[in-house]
Amino acid sequence: MTEATTDVRADMRSFLEENFLYMHPNVELKDGDDFLAQGIIDSLGFVELVEEVQTRYGLTIDDVEITEENFGSIDAIAKFVSAKQS
Amino acid sequence: MSITSIAEDLPGWAQRDPDRTAVIVGDRDVSFAELDGLTGRLAAGLREQGVQRGDRVGLMLPNGIDAVVAIEATLRAGAAIMPINPTAKHDRVADLLRRSEAAMLLCDEGSAAEASRAVDAVDGVPCFSSLGQLSSDAAEPHEVPAEADLAALMHTSGSTGGPKGVMHSHGGLGFVTGSIIEYLELGPEDRVLNLLPLSFGYGLTHLLICLRSGATLVLEPGVGLPGRIVKLLEEREITGLPGVPTVFALLLTLRGLAERPLPDLRFLTNAGAALPTPALEDVRRTFPNAELYSMYGQTECIRTCYLPPDQLDVRPGSVGVAIPGTETWIEDDEGNVLGPGETGELIVRGPHVMQGYWRDPEATAPRVREGRTAGERVLASNDIFRTDEEGYLYFVSRRDDIIKSRGEKVPPREVEEAIHADPGVHEVAVVGVPDRLLGEAVHAHVSAKEGIELDPLALKRRCAEQLEDYMVPQQVVIHDQLPRNNNGKIDRLLLAQG
Repeated sequence: MTEATTDVRADMRSFLEENFLYMHPNVELKDGDDFLAQGIIDSLGFVELVEEVQTRYGLTIDDVEITEENFGSIDAIAKFVSAKQS
Repeated sequence: MSITSIAEDLPGWAQRDPDRTAVIVGDRDVSFAELDGLTGRLAAGLREQGVQRGDRVGLMLPNGIDAVVAIEATLRAGAAIMPINPTAKHDRVADLLRRSEAAMLLCDEGSAAEASRAVDAVDGVPCFSSLGQLSSDAAEPHEVPAEADLAALMHTSGSTGGPKGVMHSHGGLGFVTGSIIEYLELGPEDRVLNLLPLSFGYGLTHLLICLRSGATLVLEPGVGLPGRIVKLLEEREITGLPGVPTVFALLLTLRGLAERPLPDLRFLTNAGAALPTPALEDVRRTFPNAELYSMYGQTECIRTCYLPPDQLDVRPGSVGVAIPGTETWIEDDEGNVLGPGETGELIVRGPHVMQGYWRDPEATAPRVREGRTAGERVLASNDIFRTDEEGYLYFVSRRDDIIKSRGEKVPPREVEEAIHADPGVHEVAVVGVPDRLLGEAVHAHVSAKEGIELDPLALKRRCAEQLEDYMVPQQVVIHDQLPRNNNGKIDRLLLAQG
């Protein structure tokens, strides 16, 4: 785990806590947990999440990139952001 | 000509073209023959468990192959489906089971906890969370349901009273299925991508029209991560995409979608709520090769009208004309038929009009009225419309205070009750506020009892524990006191201005 992906994980966790996790006080979200399966984020929430990732890291994200593989969990986002930045 | 029952569609195709793909869920392609087999075994199992003709079976299932099989098997067993939103909480589920005197509840692992609490509260309703447990190799039921037999009991919310169970017969659903197929010109070569819940009338119709026309239904649990939807449109060569404004708004946020040719996509449909004109233009720009059908309907008759796509440029705000085989007109409060430009209540005539509200003659009487010919029933829609000179319909307003969010009906009173259950709440008013993605967002305005400090997040969580997902307010705003209008009532209009 590089320093950069650690930062992305921390950024995402605080974004999720502020915007989604407060609705699920009993859920302890791990970095590998699937947002959809856990019911943490729905399709409308993903729009906010994608906008956050675009703005925060200055990325341009294409339609077909918004998949479970890239946005399904904190780990997935960290990997995706690091690949896009390199 | 008799109206074919919707229970005959699947076995018909299984016999004529058994290997044709009926339903695609994820990577799984299910042929008509396989679906027919699964349906027959579950129908036999339902009968073995005591489900009889005319019984109501609650179906609390997310979109998936199990939901499809459960719907078809219930119909084949001669019983009526009672769709329940899989995110419903136990109190609501118990209430629906009680009201309908349901014979059984089918759920899945995800909804099993709420379902089992619900059946515990309602004595004697068996509940199964795995269809495999129920399926049987015994002989499946063979009799074809009669046209007048109850096929579906679909609950809808009003401003007052509890949920009302809309009754649709096999004949009525069969008729509306055929009518929709006719104007969409749907055929066996079509592949319809359905993201809408099958527990929602608009979602359910896509299963019915595909099984009748021989089209393939590509079924997804929802929009989820929308990159997947784009891939499905391309890889599964989707020809038809039904949506509500929220689905289209989500797709329009995607970068690059408008540049994709999508040569197979020939039609889009919108219902549930109107697409605002700018969104309508964006949808057409994003999908230039697809025709867009603006439609309007209500649970009480499934589908009322549609705008033929060639009329979209001529009258973009219209929801069109009555669906094939039916008739509509507009009346004033005295029952006089109104002319072009005049506003009044939309009246609907046709075999798709509901049989009535389940065991509720008082609620039924004002909505299902005697028609022009003896014994005929027409539906008073409770929605205000006008027509233009050529008779095309325009939605004007609702008569009730229902909020339309994500295309679904949110009764403010139910959300208010959930919030009022907090002992610190003095007053609450829930209103709909225009929203880019949701159509209307649900906002709750709350004041506290003296000396109490309320936590808006705790109130939101309380709603999430009691209500279906789409009813949970996006915002809870705490006020010292709620604003009043000149009559001294809470000023909802002011609050709705956001």
